Amino acid sequence: MLSDNELISTVEMLKYEHLDVRTVTLGINLFDCASHDLETFKSNLRKKITRLAGPLVATCNAIGDKYGIEVVNKRISISPIAVVAAPFNADQMVEIAKTLNDIAVEVGVDFIGGFSALVEKGMANGDRALIEAIPEALTQTERICASVNVGSTRAGINMDAVLLMAQAIKRGAALTADKDGLAVAKLCVFCNIPQDVPFMAGAYLGTGEADAVINVGVSGPGVVKRAIDRAVEAKPNLGLGDIAEIIKRTACKVTRVGELIGREVAQTLDIPFGVVDLSLAPTPTVGDSVGEIFQSLGLISIGAPGSTAALAMLNDAVKKGGAFASSHVGGLSGAFIPVSEDLNIEEACQKGFLNIEKLEAMTCVCSVGLDMVAIPGATSEETIAGIIADEMAIGMINNKTTACRLIPVPGKVAGESAHYGGLLGHATIIDVKNCQGRNDFVLHGGRIPAPIHSLKN
Amino acid sequence: MSKIIITVIGKDRPGIVSSVARVLLQLDCNIENVSQTILQSEFAGLYIVSMPAGTDLETVTEAFNGAFQEDGLQVHISPLDVNAPQVECEGEHFIITTIGPDSKGLVYDISNVIAEAGVNIINLTAVFEGGDNPERNIMVYEILVPDTVDRHILSATLKEKAASLNLALTFQHKNIFDTVNRI
Repeated sequence: MLSDNELISTVEMLKYEHLDVRTVTLGINLFDCASHDLETFKSNLRKKITRLAGPLVATCNAIGDKYGIEVVNKRISISPIAVVAAPFNADQMVEIAKTLNDIAVEVGVDFIGGFSALVEKGMANGDRALIEAIPEALTQTERICASVNVGSTRAGINMDAVLLMAQAIKRGAALTADKDGLAVAKLCVFCNIPQDVPFMAGAYLGTGEADAVINVGVSGPGVVKRAIDRAVEAKPNLGLGDIAEIIKRTACKVTRVGELIGREVAQTLDIPFGVVDLSLAPTPTVGDSVGEIFQSLGLISIGAPGSTAALAMLNDAVKKGGAFASSHVGGLSGAFIPVSEDLNIEEACQKGFLNIEKLEAMTCVCSVGLDMVAIPGATSEETIAGIIADEMAIGMINNKTTACRLIPVPGKVAGESAHYGGLLGHATIIDVKNCQGRNDFVLHGGRIPAPIHSLKN
Repeated sequence: MSKIIITVIGKDRPGIVSSVARVLLQLDCNIENVSQTILQSEFAGLYIVSMPAGTDLETVTEAFNGAFQEDGLQVHISPLDVNAPQVECEGEHFIITTIGPDSKGLVYDISNVIAEAGVNIINLTAVFEGGDNPERNIMVYEILVPDTVDRHILSATLKEKAASLNLALTFQHKNIFDTVNRI
């Protein structure tokens, strides 16, 4: 029999500390849907996705109810559309996005991710068509997420694609100017994108994956914060090694919850279980914030000197706890710092503790990158391309995933506010310095070569 | 070989388990199962014991009366019917927790809903030490829900009852607790 303490602490984690299964994401391989005829292709998509995903939402709800833990989002990740729909042009790609959106509504999922292209070494016809279609596709749909991988440690950075993505971001934001550029909040530019991320906007199903697979994303920044608070309250002079140990143990418990739910959903749907992605992913709710953890660690705010070191420790401890809890940990697994989605991080930007340079520095040690960062609408394409290139370089050289989800908010300047609602939250627009004038560096195009894999010092 | 069940209740102190075991050993009895607990200052133990041929209930009762006469321990011994039907044990284990202000009748109110559903309580611990401080008034029930019982209805009825008592009630499959706390 479990002790009362174990029982009550588990109930508290689930009920009062916002531990939830953030997403159960059903990965679906679409290669067997391919066709040169658009109508046939759309019909194949509908048949396959509705067949596999039909029972997803009801199954997740029933299992969540059984264990008293909410599965907040149910999502689908699909094979990269740029490859599956390679014969089609940009207009047809938009049609495909709209069909996928209809299917998402029909099966009741929050998002379908995988309107994606992998172009780190070069672009094929399908890739170009998809990138061209992204602004329109994300404007005309609500539940589709797009991602484009423009760099990798093995291939280098495709600077032509970086510039195209900067243009797509500007155009997507302009098309949704009335919603503060909402379209591009559903678009991520990646370096070293993992094949099995369950979190949006970067979820897609890699080509090395099974026909269908269940991946689970667990969150729980509130649980980690409370665990640190309790420990420091009991022993105020606790060393950072001990605090890291507490984070690790807490991450382990949280991951075990994800594993339990994921395996049961997979078993019920008769689909193989993939990975648990343990990421501290905040929501715009008090007590569900990654930023608050920095204050529990003793910093005045996230962004204050010491924040990069604190994030490095946090990210590493989360990964260690996750890896111990499950033999199949994947995705991003670490700490996210999405500005608009975290009340505390947003406030740090507002108060000037965080600027884009500090955010970039912190992304060297976090699990993703410049995430949900609202920048002035007047920021030029070349400047955005430069920011993306910088972020991709961090990922490429350090052999890690990095990403950019930047929103140039049309008609607004630094200090103003952008509102997206729901999980996407709201953001104070961050100043981007030195963005005037030409940036010939990004206009050179071509590919930044892959880094050397020896002589590591 | 016949079996008996012995209950031992009294003020807790070192040596109770050893005294009971010594008496049983002297009678050549074999202890098959023991469960003991301490509630505040009181000891309670349950022993299922098999007796050798030739030993009967009276012999054991006399031996315990002799040994524990001045010890303040109450010993009750009864025969165990090994052929008695067991309670239905096919089903799934759920944990119910309640936290909230103390009032008379809480255990009855909750356990009555469980009983009316025909569900067996496997384990119950309850602590009411906090008065109006809800954090220290806790009940934890482990129940075995047979496949024939609709747990959704049971859970909803319990939550409704708990709400009327101002209690926060959770109803969760036991595996979630095992998964989080055991590696």
